[in-house]
Amino acid sequence: MVSASSLTKRYGELVAVEELTFSLRAGTVTGFLGPNGAGKTTTLRLLLGLAEPTAGEALVFGRRYRDLDDPARRVGAVLESNDFHPGRSGRDHLRALALAAEISRGRVEEVLELVELEPVAARRVKTYSLGMRQRLGLAGALLGNPELLILDEPANGLDPAGVHWLRGFLRRLAEEGRTVLVSSHVLAEVAQTVDQVVIIDRGHLLTTGPLADLTERGRTLEDVYLELTAREAS
Amino acid sequence: MTPQLRSELLKHRSTFPNLGLLLAMLALILMAVLLHGLTLPADRLESASNQVEVFRFGPLLGALFAGLVGALSITGEIRHGTIRPTFLITPRRGRVLAGKIVASGLVGIVFGLVAVCVAVGVGSAALAARGIPITLDGPDYALMPAGGIAAAGLWAPIGVGLGALLRNQVATLVALFVWLFFVENLLLDFVPGAGRFAPGAAAAAITGLDRDALLAPAVGALLLALYAAAIAAAGWIATVRRDVP
Repeated sequence: MVSASSLTKRYGELVAVEELTFSLRAGTVTGFLGPNGAGKTTTLRLLLGLAEPTAGEALVFGRRYRDLDDPARRVGAVLESNDFHPGRSGRDHLRALALAAEISRGRVEEVLELVELEPVAARRVKTYSLGMRQRLGLAGALLGNPELLILDEPANGLDPAGVHWLRGFLRRLAEEGRTVLVSSHVLAEVAQTVDQVVIIDRGHLLTTGPLADLTERGRTLEDVYLELTAREAS
Repeated sequence: MTPQLRSELLKHRSTFPNLGLLLAMLALILMAVLLHGLTLPADRLESASNQVEVFRFGPLLGALFAGLVGALSITGEIRHGTIRPTFLITPRRGRVLAGKIVASGLVGIVFGLVAVCVAVGVGSAALAARGIPITLDGPDYALMPAGGIAAAGLWAPIGVGLGALLRNQVATLVALFVWLFFVENLLLDFVPGAGRFAPGAAAAAITGLDRDALLAPAVGALLLALYAAAIAAAGWIATVRRDVP
């Protein structure tokens, strides 16, 4: 469903991602883990066609994102928590996206309800809290009712109530049978929600597999993660 | 109408900056037209070409502000990050750019129309109030709004193309102002043979201004259309080829 093979991205001298290979099966929730600057966002941008790989390929549903027939109905993604025009209302932000993908007005209201933003939908985004902005981003990703969701650090900056809400939300998406790829550098959020992990550091793959396999013999995700990233650093 | 065009038109409607730009443009036109129409001595306002000098601020400021509308439609998205959701929902970036070029052109035409009507209306009223007869004839009057609208409709795609190339909002707006108000004036003053072929001078030519120094209106229109096509195409290619910020 999502696959990277020998994926490499260099910015001049800087190597952001190198020879990265992994794949995700349908219906799984995968945590995409790594320290800050590990190359997580770059990998997601390559998967979503916002950046061009230097070498290798990044595919969704077996094709390049931009070659999908109806990308908005296959894949929903949120890369930054504040990609809004401050002077536009939340509802108009979603409507502009919906128009471009020929998604109905009714669906805009549905996703507003889904992320509990209906009461503030007419207000300008500049009056929104960070939590509201995160949810507006999620609403945008859900507009096309996609089977695959790609979320970059969705819990960044959320307060405990916001994290709690997000966790329940992701769990619900998974129960609906959607495939979710969620990046994070905060392990606690992820450990309770995901069933598979991909861990990278300095642009390299450290490990990938079901969470249950990694944490057998009583080890926590944190133990595994710290051990792997320490080994990579040395 | 493509889905992307509908989306872009909603983006134009749903934020304040366009209304702010329109009000700023009207204030500048009123100031320029009234200062000229009310304070110049009567003997410098009698000939048709004198009177065109009063009215010309409409089409010129209309074209400039249409350029700003076009530039903001792309650099605003880059500045606020909405370019990412925009290209996620429509990963074929050329379609988005095409939508922006057409939508900005349409909004630019509205700006051009408002600008010319206000300049001609207020300018005529100012002259009439001083008892100076209007010596512009029918064709002159017809050319000014038609030219102003065409110039504005073509300057909007220039703004989109330049914004897509430079990507930085401040740099793009400064470049538009400096080019139109500084570089082109220098060119016209010192190398008029070349200056008359510049895009701002071509826009002025369409409106029938100063036919001795500038190109004929039809030639100006054709030349400006070529500029608009070339700059919009350059911005289009840059957007399709480069990574999204």
